[in-house]
Amino acid sequence: MAVPDASRSHSSSPLTSSLAWGLWLWVAVTIWAAFYYAPLAAGFIGESSRILFFHVPMAWTSFVAFIAAGVWSLRYLFGGRRTEHDRAATAAVELGMVFCILATVTGALWARIMWGAYWNWDPRQISITLALLFYAAYLVLRGAVEDPDARARLSAAYAALGLIVAPFLFFVLPRITFSLHPESVINAQGKVEMESRMLQVLLSGSAAFTAFFFWLHNLRCRIAALAERDAAEKEA
Amino acid sequence: MVGGGLGWIVAVNLIIWTGLFLYLLRLNRQLRDKERGS
Repeated sequence: MAVPDASRSHSSSPLTSSLAWGLWLWVAVTIWAAFYYAPLAAGFIGESSRILFFHVPMAWTSFVAFIAAGVWSLRYLFGGRRTEHDRAATAAVELGMVFCILATVTGALWARIMWGAYWNWDPRQISITLALLFYAAYLVLRGAVEDPDARARLSAAYAALGLIVAPFLFFVLPRITFSLHPESVINAQGKVEMESRMLQVLLSGSAAFTAFFFWLHNLRCRIAALAERDAAEKEA
Repeated sequence: MVGGGLGWIVAVNLIIWTGLFLYLLRLNRQLRDKERGS
């Protein structure tokens, strides 16, 4: 995974501009498809199944962000202790938290319609909350250690542990206990049994949110790098 | 919202995408300011 380069100028090239406009167009088409192209899923109240096209991609993106944070942390620990890897891991956790909170909130809204209450102690709700707590602790850990090297080393070790914790919370725990939650895209038998148009929109939404995450991540890393450089110049 | 109508999903989407768009604008502005300053 490449780390954004702070020395690169912000002045957008035609390619960057085209990619940005392309992503917005992609998002617009996905939103249109979620409401007009994809059919309603059977067994859901009213139009509530359409939240699937936003809730699942956000949960997926938070998972991608947490795994990316783990990979950057490993690169920090075993790749020469480079600060850009530490910055990249931190930005990934922070953005992953945002997407995870959005997935939790949209899930709770959907649960209110389908199950009659925002919170039902469902294994899916518990596991996503545990994931939020796990990564909130990462941010607390970073805030608690003053020495920059110790902070980077400890938080990298913690985020690397997330490479085991996150897959367990997102994919294993909800499957080994009884849940009211609709079956995952890849079901317990390892098969995808979803109406093809729904699957297309879901995959398109997941790809759009993931691309959005990397875009935001790139900007955050570059801002953090410039802020660190400014701070170092002021100290010198 | 209890009836599972379309309105709440549209509203949720509007909030999420507007939020992401504004956040993106904010990051862009911050980056531009920092580059101008350095």
